[in-house]
Amino acid sequence: MNKTLIATSFALLLGTTAMAENVGVSMARFDDNFLTVLRNGMVATAEGMDGVILQVEDAQDDVAKQLDQINNCIASGVDAIIVYAVDTSATQAMSDAAAAANVPLVYVNREPVNVETLPDNQAFVASNEVDSGTLETMEVCRLLAEAGKADAQIYVMMGQLSNQAAVQRTADIHDVMASGNCAVTLNIIDEQTANWSRDEAQNLMTNWLSTGAPFDAVIANNDEMALGAIQAMKAAGIGMDTVIVGGVDATQDALAAMQAGDLDATVFQDAAGQGTGSLNAALALAKGEAVDQKVYIPFLLVTPDNIGDFINRN
Amino acid sequence: MSDSSQGIGGLTFDKTKRARPQELNVFLALVLITVTFEVLGWLLMGDSFLFNTRDNVEGLFNTARLNIIILQVAIIGIIALGVTQVIITGGIDLSSGSIVGATAMIAMSFAQVALVNGNPNPKAIFGPWAMDLPVIVPIVVAIGCGVLAGAVNGMLIAYTKIPPFIATLGMMVTARGVSKWWSKGNPISFPTDSYAAIGKGMTPVFIFIGLAVLFYLIMKYTKYGKHCYAIGSNEEAARMSGIRVENHKILVYTIAGILSALAAVVLSSKNLTAQAGMGVMYELDAIAMAVIGGVSLSGGRGSIIGTVIGALIFGVIISGFTFLRLDAYYQEMVKGAIIVGAVVLDQWRQRRARAGR
Repeated sequence: MNKTLIATSFALLLGTTAMAENVGVSMARFDDNFLTVLRNGMVATAEGMDGVILQVEDAQDDVAKQLDQINNCIASGVDAIIVYAVDTSATQAMSDAAAAANVPLVYVNREPVNVETLPDNQAFVASNEVDSGTLETMEVCRLLAEAGKADAQIYVMMGQLSNQAAVQRTADIHDVMASGNCAVTLNIIDEQTANWSRDEAQNLMTNWLSTGAPFDAVIANNDEMALGAIQAMKAAGIGMDTVIVGGVDATQDALAAMQAGDLDATVFQDAAGQGTGSLNAALALAKGEAVDQKVYIPFLLVTPDNIGDFINRN
Repeated sequence: MSDSSQGIGGLTFDKTKRARPQELNVFLALVLITVTFEVLGWLLMGDSFLFNTRDNVEGLFNTARLNIIILQVAIIGIIALGVTQVIITGGIDLSSGSIVGATAMIAMSFAQVALVNGNPNPKAIFGPWAMDLPVIVPIVVAIGCGVLAGAVNGMLIAYTKIPPFIATLGMMVTARGVSKWWSKGNPISFPTDSYAAIGKGMTPVFIFIGLAVLFYLIMKYTKYGKHCYAIGSNEEAARMSGIRVENHKILVYTIAGILSALAAVVLSSKNLTAQAGMGVMYELDAIAMAVIGGVSLSGGRGSIIGTVIGALIFGVIISGFTFLRLDAYYQEMVKGAIIVGAVVLDQWRQRRARAGR
């Protein structure tokens, strides 16, 4: 009698541990708009599932802290790990640590430097960063051509210089200019960083305005900076119908600015979709199923024409 | 004894040996840096840094640039006013930037509009009761946050005797935690028009200048100000002479907290948004402004005017670099060098002044 009880309770215990999937998540930071939407998408998906327990950690933009968190996850016996990498060049050590413990690992959003050599139970879920800057720049080109410009003077606002998305999106602008696909000839007056920040972008734009150089468009690596540029231009009394402003992310604030006629183009990156996609990949890998090693969630261009599809999504 | 004898031990007051006021040196540095940018502007860009060279704009000066020079440092300048008082008492405040972040989030939650472009506010934190509140509500809430954070700093330092560096470091981490926890990392946007008016145009500058004048007068003419210098120069002597050092410290840190909170209101209003990452590193910029302005980290020396000029030096440097289109990589390197250079020059000047006496 006693023995059967113990046996059944053991079986039950085993059953519950086998059913509950523990997933450790290390996010580069908690205080960033985009990362928060992604994190919330992941958490919401997990809450909708039976027996998926997420342990989400904040790496506070510290590479060393992130690796420690991954090792802690491995030590506490998680079934899979999801990493939003602080720095894409520091991922080899994370892959090695997870591979040594045979724990599945999924990188989300930021492409790890070792993406071509990932072990079988590791994967990468993201949107292809080349698309974002290209879509944004091409739309700015189109709008400038529509306004009858042959040559256009533009300012470029870059994100943090140490960040791959900032580097890539800026490179996209130059690539579009060099490719000849742009309907107008773009001349960059100046290219500076505003560190993704609305406040820094306001100051930078006001500094640019104080030079008095005429310009036709501002291309920003993200929406926050585009909004900062818009606020600075409005404060200087510049009509927003005379300047083309482009951003990336399609945040709520940016969509509201687009509805008000201030922002002309932004690019929707499906943050919640990436969060859900990475969780699904992690759970599949934990069950031993095969997963595509590169899962791409597409970027989509947002303009005043299709803005209705994107409200309440990011 | 001669008539000029002023003290004991044969120390005489000699007008010729009197040091130039600290602020004058800082001001000369400001002029020197500005002239440097003006000269470099003509040499490298073929344009003036300060003067108007455009036909379509009226006036002798490039007012747009003069405005941004001070506008871009006004918010951190407000923080620096409080930091100056803290450093003069011999303390340090590392928590200002985090207090800005937490206060911005909390205050903005009480400053939201109900409708954005006809749709319900997508960033609403509370229910309908907290929508379209009068502007005084978020301001009072913000000041409350500043008082709370500052008073905790002050009480920790005054009663537990832990070093200010540690106490405010703790607050820095805690308050940053609060700012992330408040809305689970989500930004809070879409303030009411009356809240947005606080940071519009040059208003942040007027707020900064107004507060600077207020605290200049307080530091120079009131008992509070004199006690700050007394405690910073020699805490034990101040205690012996009957100054209630503990109470005074709590008051100083509370005022610093309130100034950080006001900076948060201006910052979130100017940007029409509050984000958990707001204010990161502001404490260090504020300390740098004070130090460049001649406030001594060992306490007892410095002034509000010096800090204001220190802030202007910061503004001139940022605008000057953008004007010269210097790459962002070099901007930070040069900024760091200027901070250290200012303090080295000051130390050197002080040592010479002491040797000359």
